[in-house]
Amino acid sequence: MTPISRRTFLRNAGVLGASAVLAEGLPRPARADKPVSFSGWVFKPDTVNDYVKLYNQKYNAQVKYEAIPWAQYHPTMETRALAGEIVDVMYCNHNNRERWYENGLIRPVDDLPGTDELKKKMTPANLDSLKSKDGTKLLGLPYFTSLFILIYNEPMLQQAGIKAPAKSWDELVEHCTKLKRDKVSDTPFLPNWNNSPSGVMPQFMTDCFSEGANVFDAKNRVIVDQEPGAAKAMERWQKVYKADLVNPEVLTKTSSTDTHRLFWTGRYAYHTNHSYYLKTIAGEPENSKLAPRKAKMAMYPGTGNTYMWTDSYTVNAKTKVLDDAWKLTRFLGGNLQGDWYVQRQWCLIAGLDNPYPEMYEHPEIIQSYDRWIDLKLLREQYKKGKVIGAYKEPWYGEYDTKAVATVQNMIRGTITVPKGLKDLAALQKSLA
Amino acid sequence: MSADHARSTIPDRIAAPRLGLGSIRLSEAWFAFALVLPALGGIFVVVLFPLLYSLWLSFTDVNLLRAGGPAIELFGVRVPLFRWIGLQNYARILADPLYWSSLWRTVYFVLAFVVEAVLVGLGMALVLNERFVGRPLMRSCLLIPWSLSRVVVGLLWIGILDFEFGALNGVLHNLGLIDRSIAFFKDGWSALNVLVSVYMWNQAPFASLLFLAGMQSISEDLYSAAEVDGAGYWQRLRYVTLPALRPIMFLVLVLATVNGFLMLDLIYVLTMGGPANDTTTLSWLGFQTTFAFFKFGPGTAILYTLTALCLLLAFIYHRLILARFEPEA
Repeated sequence: MTPISRRTFLRNAGVLGASAVLAEGLPRPARADKPVSFSGWVFKPDTVNDYVKLYNQKYNAQVKYEAIPWAQYHPTMETRALAGEIVDVMYCNHNNRERWYENGLIRPVDDLPGTDELKKKMTPANLDSLKSKDGTKLLGLPYFTSLFILIYNEPMLQQAGIKAPAKSWDELVEHCTKLKRDKVSDTPFLPNWNNSPSGVMPQFMTDCFSEGANVFDAKNRVIVDQEPGAAKAMERWQKVYKADLVNPEVLTKTSSTDTHRLFWTGRYAYHTNHSYYLKTIAGEPENSKLAPRKAKMAMYPGTGNTYMWTDSYTVNAKTKVLDDAWKLTRFLGGNLQGDWYVQRQWCLIAGLDNPYPEMYEHPEIIQSYDRWIDLKLLREQYKKGKVIGAYKEPWYGEYDTKAVATVQNMIRGTITVPKGLKDLAALQKSLA
Repeated sequence: MSADHARSTIPDRIAAPRLGLGSIRLSEAWFAFALVLPALGGIFVVVLFPLLYSLWLSFTDVNLLRAGGPAIELFGVRVPLFRWIGLQNYARILADPLYWSSLWRTVYFVLAFVVEAVLVGLGMALVLNERFVGRPLMRSCLLIPWSLSRVVVGLLWIGILDFEFGALNGVLHNLGLIDRSIAFFKDGWSALNVLVSVYMWNQAPFASLLFLAGMQSISEDLYSAAEVDGAGYWQRLRYVTLPALRPIMFLVLVLATVNGFLMLDLIYVLTMGGPANDTTTLSWLGFQTTFAFFKFGPGTAILYTLTALCLLLAFIYHRLILARFEPEA
């Protein structure tokens, strides 16, 4: 073994040090971003951790991410605000955004650099839904957007000799009746009637829209009792439930995730749920019997309109590191890197859509979606997505939860459709 | 030390101050108080203060995001007091039909649960009090359901009872007993009874453990004497075991009642209060009102009515079971 002299050692160490610097490119800026706290509800926290890590490395930042279980997320953030804690960047679902804004927890982002450019890139409906009640302020950048779609089990329809998926509700009921009669499926229809906030109420609005009915008027009052389309949708729900075309326990499923997993079994013909669930149904052979691509999307029956919403990243009104918090927010909900990095990751990993149409022209997105959905049809469906303004009202959260019982009672036939619809209007009136 | 001897020492202790030892006694008392003070402080911070503060909240108009106005400082932490509105929260919840339907459902739930838990717990304890091969193993196994987290219990029973993939439906179907799956959660009545049974499965082992401990402390002499008097099994149970178990019965009833009133997690995992509101109990309604509607005032008011009910029932149990009970010296 050749002995190493002190001079050789120092020379080699110098060369190694220089190589390390060159390999990293230019030395990092002396000033690191200030620490930024970032909280969100639990959904693929590993993915979030990965992109936070990337952000910290790339921008020499100090973002500290924390995931909080969904059910406790919004109360936890409010309790922390009460205790004087400032979480700089926060997820916020659409139902709570206005309340957080009106009570001074979050700030509008219109005055921050780059917002105008992002506004121009967003679809107008999503932009509207991210605005304050009076329509003057943008309250955050999009985390994701979604809407309800119709999913069908192609092999089951083929087995029953049904050549194409239903284009109307009557046809869908007819198909389901036939499938049950022929003993192809015990309960062929799986609507998202579960008990959670993402279940039966958005499904109710979706089916009202698809029948051409409005749920709220321009002043955000519930008007379903005056809308024949709403009655038609509810009568159809009663009919399919009474005819045992639906798994009766869907009413006590505790989430839309649990509900969509039932479709993995391949025992149902039709399913209505959030668009991104088709990714696991048709794209995960390790979980679903209907993958790859045995389950497909069809245009929503009736008018084709379905309920669409946008959840968001928001900036704390009291943040002491506004520049850094906004930079992170743009990385998450905008296009800080120039390649829509985070928004793209959500599309690729979870099928979570976003309100920036230009992203869907990217070959990587097209290729990824092609594995589980007809992207062209999905984009068509998005054109028919309908947003509401009622969730910006202070009473909306309570109405949305309490109305579940009335709608489920209509489904089960324990109250009549006209009474149920009147009760919904009365409930909203009592809370407003 | 015999009971008589113990009684005879009491006057001496009372007389101590008169012997000039009062100041020593006093300082000993203060010393003892100083020793337990940290523990008392801990109890105040984590139990008493939250209890009093939540009671206060039930009389106020709470908005967590608008916490200006009067406040108190506790260990440097600002605790907002919010706007006092008197009994308005209580008046509002008592005027809500959902409160009353939830209350009656809760009463049914608690009644069914307490009866099931006591009967099954007592039955298991009677079996495990007998001598048989494998008794130690059985006693250990008894605690498994009780030691499971209730979220796990809920998920386990979903696996057993689910309409689509439940093991029970699978077994019944394979035995040819059913040709179509049973939907245990289809209607509210059956869903509520499923909740009662699942909770009983989780909690009865603890009742059983308490009964078993009580049975072990009953003197064998009493059973021997009863046998000499010609008492059979049921008579020994009626006249020896059950009377001796009265303090334990009181404890089991109070614990089962309180646990029944407060049960929330199984509803969260199994039904979310549905279908419709058919499994909504007061604890679920209070939870929803507080954390889903962000109405902390009415939410705490609902939960304090539950507390009042628990206290009332504990008092009734005490009067019925313990008032005339004479413990052995």
